[in-house]
Amino acid sequence: MATTDLPPLPASPSPTPRLACADLSSGYLGKKVLDGVSFSVEEPAIYVVLGPNGAGKTTLFRTMAGILTPYRGSVEIGGRSIEQQATRDRLHFLSHVDGIPDGLTVEEALEFYAAVQRASHGDVDRVLGLLEIETLRAKFFSELSAGQKKRVSIARIFLKERDIYLLDEPTANLDPKVATEIRDLVLKLSRDRIVLYSSHNLFEAREIGRYVIALKNGRLALFGRIADLRSARYTVGIRATKGEGQLPSSARKGDYFIFELAGPEEVPKLLKELEGKGVQIREVKEMSNPLEDLFT
Amino acid sequence: MTGTPAPLPSLTAMTFRRGMRIGRLYLVLGVFFTLFLTVVLLRSTKGAFPTAFPLEIPMFAALGSMGGLMLFTNDRSKGVLEYLIAYGVPPRTLLLNALATATGLTTIVLGAALAVGLGGYVAVGNTLSTDLENAILFYTIPMAYAGGLFASVAGMVWSTLSSPRTGMNSPVGVAPLLGVAPPVLVLVLAEASSKSDYYYITAGSAAIFLVIVVALLLLASRLMGRERFLSPL
Repeated sequence: MATTDLPPLPASPSPTPRLACADLSSGYLGKKVLDGVSFSVEEPAIYVVLGPNGAGKTTLFRTMAGILTPYRGSVEIGGRSIEQQATRDRLHFLSHVDGIPDGLTVEEALEFYAAVQRASHGDVDRVLGLLEIETLRAKFFSELSAGQKKRVSIARIFLKERDIYLLDEPTANLDPKVATEIRDLVLKLSRDRIVLYSSHNLFEAREIGRYVIALKNGRLALFGRIADLRSARYTVGIRATKGEGQLPSSARKGDYFIFELAGPEEVPKLLKELEGKGVQIREVKEMSNPLEDLFT
Repeated sequence: MTGTPAPLPSLTAMTFRRGMRIGRLYLVLGVFFTLFLTVVLLRSTKGAFPTAFPLEIPMFAALGSMGGLMLFTNDRSKGVLEYLIAYGVPPRTLLLNALATATGLTTIVLGAALAVGLGGYVAVGNTLSTDLENAILFYTIPMAYAGGLFASVAGMVWSTLSSPRTGMNSPVGVAPLLGVAPPVLVLVLAEASSKSDYYYITAGSAAIFLVIVVALLLLASRLMGRERFLSPL
């Protein structure tokens, strides 16, 4: 399923509302996991939520979705508290757990969530087509592969259009093909909606995200444009067709000879230097990801 | 939205249907055992039916009601409750839907037993005595619901306070025993009392168990944080 083949998504019902977390502290059974997190987003885009395990990503999503009651602070959409039903109706949440009831077929499971969201049979048929799971309609959820289960789980967020989507690791443990398909759907969704997307895959995060919300030890470590991030060290890999003997064999990763530079502006200088030594360069590849620094 | 406006069943109706499906083994066992005993009592030549029939039903009705509790514990561990809360379903409604399912399943076992038992009893030429009617009205019916609901609510509270376990050391594993306890305990208590107090004790005990059910429900929905309903996965 390529991006261009995707059926059109319905247009956003209204201008994107502002999602604001103010001084948000939250956790489980009195144990604080999130501590004083504040940010607000209004521009339709993918906001990648990053952080090491235990940083508070899932807790942030659960609190923003109104599942956890904050110990302090607030979550508001369009200036209204998430505790109000009308506010919850503007948001979709996709948990890292499938959340599909036991003993139901795919169609019945989607009907169950359609009833909860006050959607219709027609909406169920539409998302079965959108996610290309029509052939799974009569199958029990327990019979599906991991990729198929994830598709069904994701299908529920397309039953009813909302302004804001909180997606907790939607591509975790999926094969690359299914992960790409899901990323394409999310990218399409983000054209006119706010999508908060948590991931452990830094290359995926850099590929699809426009902004990063980084958490560390339950606190907001960074909120900014991914394009503006610069690595503390900039690493490039070079493959050569001729003159490999001139390249440092100690710093080698697979077929690539590794060079650490101060920044991308030093690459032309390096290439000129290597060409001067008789090296014929076949490929230059960026090996580091500035998002990695958020995990250190 | 492009969908045609076809109405879907309510969440409560879907919950009941799922409860029947997920707890079908317990439901089948509850109906089977109670009907089996009913037929044995109907065929008894010792006239045991009027005294034994009202006593056997509540225990199997409690067993048959387990689908409500199983649904709740399954939905919690699969993360379904988390989604429902995110969509705005209050935790109290989640508990009530499971109890409504348990009530419906109890009604199925109770209804089948009473229809077959009393129908068969009358069909073979007997008349319903006042004692039999009183036993059914003041013991069988209230204790069937009290046992099923008590087991369900206690199991749900236990489930939300603990990590999921399987087998006999789980809320679902122990709940049938909890369901059997009220009718048996009340019976022991009533047997030790004078005949004039018998039905006051049975009906009163059923009422007390129902008050306990309501109190546990209120405590669970008011005092438990929503994090208690999350999947531990």
